[in-house]
Amino acid sequence: MKYDFLDSEALARLGAMPLEARQAMTGSVAGRHRSPHRGSSVEFAEYRKYVQGDDTRRLDWKAYARSDRYYIKEFEADTNLRAYFVIDASASMGFSAADEPRIQFARKLAATLSYLIINQGDAAGLSICQEKIHLEIPPTRKAAQLNNILDVLAKTKPTGETGLVEALHTIAEKTNQRALVIIMSDLFCDTDKLTDALQHLRYRKHDVAVFHLLDKQEVDFDFERPHRFIDMEDQTSVVAEPALIADDYRNAMQHFLNEVKTACHNVRADYHLITTNQSYEKIICDFLSMRLPKKGRK
Amino acid sequence: MPITFLQQSLLWGLFALSIPIIIHLLNRKRFRTIQWAAMDFLLKATRESRGKKKLKYILILTARALAIAALIFAIARPLAGGFLSWGGAQIDTVILILDRSPSMEQIDDNENISKRLTAIKSVQSSLKSLNNPKLILIDSASATAQSIPSPDALNELSATLATDTKASIPTLISIAIDYITDNALGRTEIWLASDLQKSNWSPDDGRWDAARAGLVDLPQKTTLRIISMASAITDNVATRILSATRLENELSLEIEIIRSDTNTTASIPITYSINGSRSSETVNFDGQNYQYRKNLSLGDKQGEGYGYITTPTDANPRDNVSFFAYGDDLPAKTYLISEDGESKAWLSLASAPPGLNHNECITLSPPLADQINWAQATLIIWQAALPTGSVAKQIIDYLEDGGALLIFPPNGESETSFMGIQWQDLRTSARGQYFVIDDWNRSDGPLRNGNEGVGIPASKLKALKRRVIDGELTTLATWDDDQPFLTRKIVGDGTIIFATSLPNYAWSNLADADVLLPVIQRMIRLGDLRFSSAFSAIAGSSSTQLTDGEIRSRIDQYLDSKSSNAPYEAGVWRLGDRLVATNRPASEDEWLVLDQNSLNVLLEGTQFSLFEETKGSESLVKEIWKVLLITMLVFLITEAMLCLQPKAGDPKLKT
Repeated sequence: MKYDFLDSEALARLGAMPLEARQAMTGSVAGRHRSPHRGSSVEFAEYRKYVQGDDTRRLDWKAYARSDRYYIKEFEADTNLRAYFVIDASASMGFSAADEPRIQFARKLAATLSYLIINQGDAAGLSICQEKIHLEIPPTRKAAQLNNILDVLAKTKPTGETGLVEALHTIAEKTNQRALVIIMSDLFCDTDKLTDALQHLRYRKHDVAVFHLLDKQEVDFDFERPHRFIDMEDQTSVVAEPALIADDYRNAMQHFLNEVKTACHNVRADYHLITTNQSYEKIICDFLSMRLPKKGRK
Repeated sequence: MPITFLQQSLLWGLFALSIPIIIHLLNRKRFRTIQWAAMDFLLKATRESRGKKKLKYILILTARALAIAALIFAIARPLAGGFLSWGGAQIDTVILILDRSPSMEQIDDNENISKRLTAIKSVQSSLKSLNNPKLILIDSASATAQSIPSPDALNELSATLATDTKASIPTLISIAIDYITDNALGRTEIWLASDLQKSNWSPDDGRWDAARAGLVDLPQKTTLRIISMASAITDNVATRILSATRLENELSLEIEIIRSDTNTTASIPITYSINGSRSSETVNFDGQNYQYRKNLSLGDKQGEGYGYITTPTDANPRDNVSFFAYGDDLPAKTYLISEDGESKAWLSLASAPPGLNHNECITLSPPLADQINWAQATLIIWQAALPTGSVAKQIIDYLEDGGALLIFPPNGESETSFMGIQWQDLRTSARGQYFVIDDWNRSDGPLRNGNEGVGIPASKLKALKRRVIDGELTTLATWDDDQPFLTRKIVGDGTIIFATSLPNYAWSNLADADVLLPVIQRMIRLGDLRFSSAFSAIAGSSSTQLTDGEIRSRIDQYLDSKSSNAPYEAGVWRLGDRLVATNRPASEDEWLVLDQNSLNVLLEGTQFSLFEETKGSESLVKEIWKVLLITMLVFLITEAMLCLQPKAGDPKLKT
């Protein structure tokens, strides 16, 4: 395959699983996802009283016969889903200790999900965020969109500081219709600002999913000897004895993870903490499974 | 507690203490570089970890260094116990002075062996710890130095066996000093194993000055180390025969029992063995000492005999026996040299009173004094002008040999002098008044109280006349004007008693026998010791040594003796034609010990150290490498615990 982050066998295995929106979407065409509007699907939504101007063809005559009152029978409207992949391409996404770079893991997730979304007739878009560059591919349902997304993903190189927070605010502002916003980042930014951005998305009624990508070494901080640590974003360095600071490092990391998790829960975002040594296929499988509607619903 | 090392050169290994520090510093220099994303957390952790983490790391380094130090100390084979000072392990020669006196046979409560064997065991163990330096033994009995091939040989030598001889510590130290001076011994130490018994150490002995000076003046620095076995003496009873006197078909033993415990009434079974026949009785008494007289029937046995008395086994079995021997029955011959008169009759009667067939009194006038059979004389009573010339010389020889002489004043004036003593003026009491005895020695001399504590009624004595005596004499009884009635002079092994009045109605009522009879009979008993003493001796003394042609053989059945140790053991011996009962010296039953202060005074200016016997101590020095290895282990465990990081769980599980 042309792209090393796309595995055809994995796509075949995952192809049968649909990506469902957890809330109603406002698409431009009919699709498989619920819409906030009443429409012409076969699924009954509710009765409401007839008001002047309603199409008399939608009157429920059987209800009129029973109650001698005019009721309009309304049905759910189904529409398509618009998914935005927001990928952090700051220098820290290039980190890898033992496993593959974080950005590569993000590419795999985004590419596979994009394929699944477009394949099921929904629209997919991509937003690459860096400190100064904010590359955006608006979501469309066209088959050629997948190539566009894959090309951009392949060309994306992690560099500079993160522009994630600004990118999320931009997406929240620009995207009028409800969408599924899938964020893939290490979230190494100001947690308060990140919380604001997530709340902004939520305010605009977007369905948010966060893939928090970390390297196992970053979590465990398991080093044997002194190291000079060089910041991947601003190149500052510090020499440290890991044995001396490991406890405090882990505490700080745990505190950060708790903050991020709390922020995501507050905005009812779908939060996934992922270490890059995990199987991306399993992660996607779990992600899709969790989003399937519960029994009784469509 | 001073510590010394058998392998001091290995202490250079202490430089290895720097290894963990050097490794730490090198590690700090040899860091790896890594690109890192989560920099904020790293900086925060670095800020927070200063202080307590550094302290923890310093503790880890310290634990590592101390573990190495403990290991180095352990392989350097440290010795502890306070016996040796720094560098004490580098000894070329040890001169061991071993106290073999009977008091060293007291059983050590901890080891259940005698103090002597405990000391030997400790010395053996210590010498092995010190890599067996050359060993020279000076034992208290033979007082000669001999080289010992190995510490183990101490168990096999007769020179380390128990004896009944006295130990003269200052003499033994002087012998050690002479040996060091005469031989090139290298670095030498004198180890003195003793129970610090005061009578053996003789702190007032003039030889201590020479011993002190000798120790100080030795060419090389020599330390005197005293292995003290001076534990308290408890549960011990010693028995001693003070005299054994044959009176016709009876043997009169004067016995002393000494015990260590005085809180309760003693009830001590005594076994008498005489010529193979045994009898026993129980003696009850209070206090520490008890003296009594025991008469043993000899039956029809003629000639010499022997025996011993014993008490049951106690803390010191060596002092539970006392031996005696006796010779033919000889009459107690008293030679009375007297001027004619009433005094002569009374003195003769008091010397051989009716009923005492054993006593015989031979009266001679002063000019015939040279007819005295000096060899057979038990007592000489001299009531005449003081002897002069050849008779005086013969009397002095008789006294030197242990004779007894009782001198009364002459009837008339006398200007002769005997051994610097002269009779002075005759004094007469005031009309209607008497000289009376005012004070007398109730514990010593012829007027002492009897064994049962009954006193002599000396206060009944009244005198009209008396003579003053002039010379260096010990007063035993005084008149009421503080002038002496009885005085004493010791000459060699003999005794002279001077009485200053006469048993004459014109002089005093001395003839009433309240005073005269006990005085003369006690003097006869004293003189009789001269004959019985030929059959007794102190173990190890010159009279127990063999003369030409004599062979030593033990004839009592109390114990067997090793021939090489026999001269120093108590027992009944046949030495050629002689029969001698040997016993430990009386001073061995004085259980006073020197305290630390007395020792400091005695050895002032010398380099000495005192090692007190401790419970369960087998060696004077102990290797403590095991302790140090355990210490090292503790430091390593401490280091490991400090290094153990509380493993943080996978953060993912906590999300």
